[in-house]
Amino acid sequence: MAVTEIASPPTTAAAAGKHRAVATSLPPARGQSFLRLVVTELRKSLDTRSGRVLILAILALAVAALTWQLTHMDAGQQQFDSYLAAASTGVQLLLPVIGVMAMTSEWTQRTALTTFTLSPRRVRVQLAKFVSAIVLSIVVLTATTVLAMAATALGGATGGHGSSYAGLGGALAGAYLTTALNVVMGAAFGAVIAQTAVAILVFFIAPTAWALAGPALFKDNANWLDVFGAFGRIAERDLHGMLPETLTAIGVWIVLPTIVGLWASSRREVK
Amino acid sequence: MITVENLSKRYGNTTAVQDVSFTVEPGSITGFLGPNGAGKSTTLRMLTGLTPPTSGRATITGKRYVELPNPGRVVGVMLDAAAQHPGRTGRETLQLNASLLGVPKTRADEMLEAVGLSSAAKRRVGQYSLGMRQRLGIASALLGDPAVLILDEPANGMDPEGIRWMRGLLQDFANRGGTVILSSHLLGEVQATVDRLVVIGGGRIVANGSLDELLAGSGTLVRGLDPVALNQALTAAGLALEPLHDGALRVDATAEQVGRAAAAAGQILLELRESDGAGLEELFFQLTSPTATAVAA
Repeated sequence: MAVTEIASPPTTAAAAGKHRAVATSLPPARGQSFLRLVVTELRKSLDTRSGRVLILAILALAVAALTWQLTHMDAGQQQFDSYLAAASTGVQLLLPVIGVMAMTSEWTQRTALTTFTLSPRRVRVQLAKFVSAIVLSIVVLTATTVLAMAATALGGATGGHGSSYAGLGGALAGAYLTTALNVVMGAAFGAVIAQTAVAILVFFIAPTAWALAGPALFKDNANWLDVFGAFGRIAERDLHGMLPETLTAIGVWIVLPTIVGLWASSRREVK
Repeated sequence: MITVENLSKRYGNTTAVQDVSFTVEPGSITGFLGPNGAGKSTTLRMLTGLTPPTSGRATITGKRYVELPNPGRVVGVMLDAAAQHPGRTGRETLQLNASLLGVPKTRADEMLEAVGLSSAAKRRVGQYSLGMRQRLGIASALLGDPAVLILDEPANGMDPEGIRWMRGLLQDFANRGGTVILSSHLLGEVQATVDRLVVIGGGRIVANGSLDELLAGSGTLVRGLDPVALNQALTAAGLALEPLHDGALRVDATAEQVGRAAAAAGQILLELRESDGAGLEELFFQLTSPTATAVAA
């Protein structure tokens, strides 16, 4: 036995009664508002090096794409939507990773132990993570949009043929909507599978596998579960008369994993 | 005040914790003692709402943990000091929790000061030693100025100076009316710190009482030249006894009774004394050995 200290058992005065505060009086205890939870989750996404690196990497990708676009300019007027498309392709691919990591990193890093002892109502915390991931991705997409606008203006000025922002509203609406859906889908996968690497892999592979295998096996019926097709139609803001197919794909790939994920993470044992 | 009532946890066919009941009163430090795998951590996880119990109930100040609106303001918890994000600084870790608890940001620095981590506040937790993480965990537990502390193996990884510091801190906390439960498998640490003991072995409570009571009730220790024959002689004389792991016997009788019974059977004694000097370690081995029967103190 390492520690054998000869000490008489402490004769603690059993001063039962109200515990007295050590420090200066703290403000009275109140419950945690949902807004407080969201702000806390946002802070957690940004207060570690890995979190900041992910955001900066996504923005760096947008800058790189725009730089390429500017150095390989088409002749004539510069179109904003082609700049936005160039900038946001990589961004839209990587933003769901923010969603996945919002849900998984606490389990991977084992900080779930602290999080759920401080906030035992887990479904609220998980919902706050969804909201936080959406807010963060919208901020990043907005930064990307601003970069794309600046690049369009720069291209127009240096090319000498001006720039056009035709269709700006529509392009942005589509981009924000599909990004939000993508991030929620990533978060849902992360909630179901609490391992970062596995969740990211499944998130990228499963729908792609369906997109490849589905049409071969089920012909047109595969559309019912083709989430990429659904995203495409939403981005164009034209469902091509495929409302039921779009809703089904969203339901199966986004709503269902969200519900299962909330259920699973509220019951998962915190190790 | 912590109340645990008939708490059980089963995983499939394995029973991790079986029908565990105890209370921890304000103004006292209770040691939750047991070998590894005895069910200490599972019990503490059920107490803090992290693991749903199969049956039974645990309350803190009369409420189930999940019913506390902002638990960190009532109960400070440290279950695993290693479970902290390595990429955050010590200060950021505490400030994050402070904002959830609704206490001022300055409280984070006060607590870092209180646990002696001020100079490491801006370093990332990944660079902390286990002892430093234990201190950070204790700072985090104290952040909301709780009336109850639940600490799982808080002395783990601490140097002797750190252990002495923590002992003072906990005794001060209890003296001000706080309720403390801390788990350990380090007997010496527990012996010097706690007022009461709850000993768990194989998922069941095997002893529960004040340190004095548990140490006093340990009877007479006797060692004979022929342990087997001595055992038979004392048993034949109607004395309740228990073989210890080192070949001695612990007998629930006075030294005189044991001496007479041994003399009557012609047994040669090598050692005969009050066994309270055997200390907690002996008790611990007795109570948690697989053959031990439940002892109600």
